[in-house]
Amino acid sequence: MSLRTEGLTKAFGGVLAVNGATVELRDGAVNGLIGPNGSGKTTFFNIVTGLVRPDSGRVLYRDRDITRHAPHRIAHAGIGRTFQLCRIFPRLTVLENMLVAVRRTRLRELLAGLRDKGEVERARHWLRRMGIEHLEDAEARDLSYGQQKLLELAAVLMAEPDLVLLDEPAGGVNPALIDRIAALVRELNAEGRTFLVVEHNMDMVMGMCDHVIVFDRGAPIAAGPPALIRQDPRVLEAYLGV
Amino acid sequence: MSLVLQGLALGVLTGGLYALLASGLSLYFGVMRVVMVAHPAFLFLAAYLTYTVHTTLGVDPFLALPVIVPLFFGLGVAVQRLLIARLAPDNLAMMSVLLTFGIALTIEGLLGTFYTGSYKSVSMEYATRSLTIGGVHLPYDKIIAFGVAALTLAVLFAVLVKSRFGQALRATIQHREAARLVGVPTERVAGYGFGVGLATAAVGGTVLALITPFFPASHWVWIGKLMAVIVVGGLGSVAGAALAAVVLGMVEGVVLVTVDATWATMMFYVFLFLTLLVRPQGFFGGRLAHRF
Amino acid sequence: MHTVSRVLPLLLAALAIAYPWAVPNYYLVYAGALTVMYAAMSTSWNLLGGFTGYVSLGHSAFFGLGAYGTGLLVVRLGVPWAVALLVSALLVTVFAVGVGIAAVRVRGASFVIVSLALVSMMNLVVQGWRSLTGGSTGLQVPSPFPGLHRGQTHIVFFYLFLALLALALLSWWYVSRSRFGAGLRAIREDEDKAESLGVPTAAYKVAAFALSALFVALAGGLYALWFGSLDPIFVFSILIASFMVLMSLLGGVRHLYGPLLGALIVAPAGEYFLIALGETQIHLTATGLVLVLVVLFMPDGILARFTRRRAGPSIPDESAGQRLQGVTR
Repeated sequence: MSLRTEGLTKAFGGVLAVNGATVELRDGAVNGLIGPNGSGKTTFFNIVTGLVRPDSGRVLYRDRDITRHAPHRIAHAGIGRTFQLCRIFPRLTVLENMLVAVRRTRLRELLAGLRDKGEVERARHWLRRMGIEHLEDAEARDLSYGQQKLLELAAVLMAEPDLVLLDEPAGGVNPALIDRIAALVRELNAEGRTFLVVEHNMDMVMGMCDHVIVFDRGAPIAAGPPALIRQDPRVLEAYLGV
Repeated sequence: MSLVLQGLALGVLTGGLYALLASGLSLYFGVMRVVMVAHPAFLFLAAYLTYTVHTTLGVDPFLALPVIVPLFFGLGVAVQRLLIARLAPDNLAMMSVLLTFGIALTIEGLLGTFYTGSYKSVSMEYATRSLTIGGVHLPYDKIIAFGVAALTLAVLFAVLVKSRFGQALRATIQHREAARLVGVPTERVAGYGFGVGLATAAVGGTVLALITPFFPASHWVWIGKLMAVIVVGGLGSVAGAALAAVVLGMVEGVVLVTVDATWATMMFYVFLFLTLLVRPQGFFGGRLAHRF
Repeated sequence: MHTVSRVLPLLLAALAIAYPWAVPNYYLVYAGALTVMYAAMSTSWNLLGGFTGYVSLGHSAFFGLGAYGTGLLVVRLGVPWAVALLVSALLVTVFAVGVGIAAVRVRGASFVIVSLALVSMMNLVVQGWRSLTGGSTGLQVPSPFPGLHRGQTHIVFFYLFLALLALALLSWWYVSRSRFGAGLRAIREDEDKAESLGVPTAAYKVAAFALSALFVALAGGLYALWFGSLDPIFVFSILIASFMVLMSLLGGVRHLYGPLLGALIVAPAGEYFLIALGETQIHLTATGLVLVLVVLFMPDGILARFTRRRAGPSIPDESAGQRLQGVTR
């Protein structure tokens, strides 16, 4: 069992952003999370990764209760995430961005030099896979948006997560890069990582995901393989308001 | 017991002044997310100007208000438009603190140079008398101070709630981008917000000159107290700040008469740290929370 | 570039070591010691401010506590001065951890408020607790080197402060090259993002806060032994904190030598003002105005003007796309 949530609820002011969300991810799969704007997908992400505290409900990862844990502890447990509007450290170099990730808090590791051979090699490995290794000494703010997205993903992978949450990986990215990102996700998944992807680009979701969960008004209304989801009347209703 | 009552009553009266001053601080924080460290320095500037007007012209300190208030309003607009608006937005919180910190030092140095570091005070004939109700003595100067502060605060609230400017200001506080989209000139509104904030410092300064002796460096004590008030009240919440001001004023008053002045001031910091540990978003407002 | 960065520290060190023997009088040794003290303090301030971007206006609290701790241990308990210095600095560090836990729970604005409150609080405590500290009349600390005359003492303390400066610089350099430092810089850029990458941001911030307090406390302790007379109003004054801030900012908070450069400019200027204008309050105004100007026109400091960014602002996207095609299959 990878990730399971039970009855997650979070209200902002009077608005229920997430409303009793009980969700189960397919272990070892690329899970898609879709739903209309404001259906609570990002808040759900934020609760799972500890940035937002739920009013009630539980988050279980590998049958361990991680509800309300500090975000860094959730990261140490093996959950990594990207952000909707790509977040990198603009005034650090690409390589420094890669070396921020901490897998566990050990004094020896923290005091290790930034140019620690093994770590730098690992960083270069991921940068190579993203195709941005030639930029390692550039400041991150000088990268194009697409390159920044790749950097963000690479930095998340440095923490070696087993579960990767991607918040709109195709947002603001050109079509060629969307295909490459989708291919990368499939590849990384084949290596044993579970994914949960929030995405509005339906072609990408349907092409990339094994399992799709549909959110509406803060809770899942349907879940299943893409082919079935595509025809589910509840999904059409949620999206089109029929 | 009557001692405690006395302390409570005096605390409420001083709390009125705290409320007025803290509301100014909340206003800056609301419109610009700026911790205006120089607020009490301007407060003391107003107090010294009042002192000068009083000693050279021999008139009642309150007669200085019609000059000082518009002057400070203009100063506030100028500070926002000419200085704070120039700062790069990516690190506004810290840079604005440093900027206003620099302004505070500048003012303190000027006051020290012109007026020397010794205590000054404005004493009016009515300051020596007091009103006695059921064994509690309330000095007239403190009652007047409270009255003026409360009146100013009431006007401020009325402006914020009723006027078009107030609406624009609150819209800017709640969501700057959205306000701009619906046509609120947020830059100008922020400038006026600063103006109003400094105007409250002007009123506060006159009142302060009346009720307590002052010297240039004492504005640091005030910034500490007022910061405690707005954190306890919830950063950016004007009503929260006012409420916290009165509560802390009462605590101060009681500790002042039962223990001593050091502990009375210390209570502000005790409450500040407790709030940060227990409820960082503040007790009375605080939707803006501690994310800033 | 590499040879410059190798040779420069050695050259600076040689100049600094020769300084007390090269100047014509003891006053200049005194002024030099004061400058080096401020350089050490602003470099340690920058351990927090430069890496994490958390601006502390309250570091004079640690200076004052270090000074009073050392003074009290020597005067009241008769502890040898070197032991007193270290014990006091350690106690202040522990205290800073406690304050840090409360202070770094909150971000940005609230942190500044806490740091300001800290100074005012310490001032109240030291002045209020007369029986221990001597209250506002101050505390007299006997000189650790009774055999030396005043001028020779200046020379000794010049070197002690120089050692402290070297220690602070070395720490900054070491942290800047460590993953701990990368984490701190990440906190400056985007705290939530750093958390989500597994960085325990609260612990990092407290550690940086405490480390930075440690060196400032050591400076305070040395100051107490050097001057021999402590005035609570001065050692806990906001002016000391504002010097640390101004020096760091003026030189450049992102650079190892930034605070040092700032100190070399501001401290002698301050001394000059003192001689030229006497004991007036106008130096506060000067400090304030310079701070305002730096914040407005040179927020990255002097050194940022001389170091160029490594890459130009535009990196062609196509090349990345092309490389991507070759790599991901």
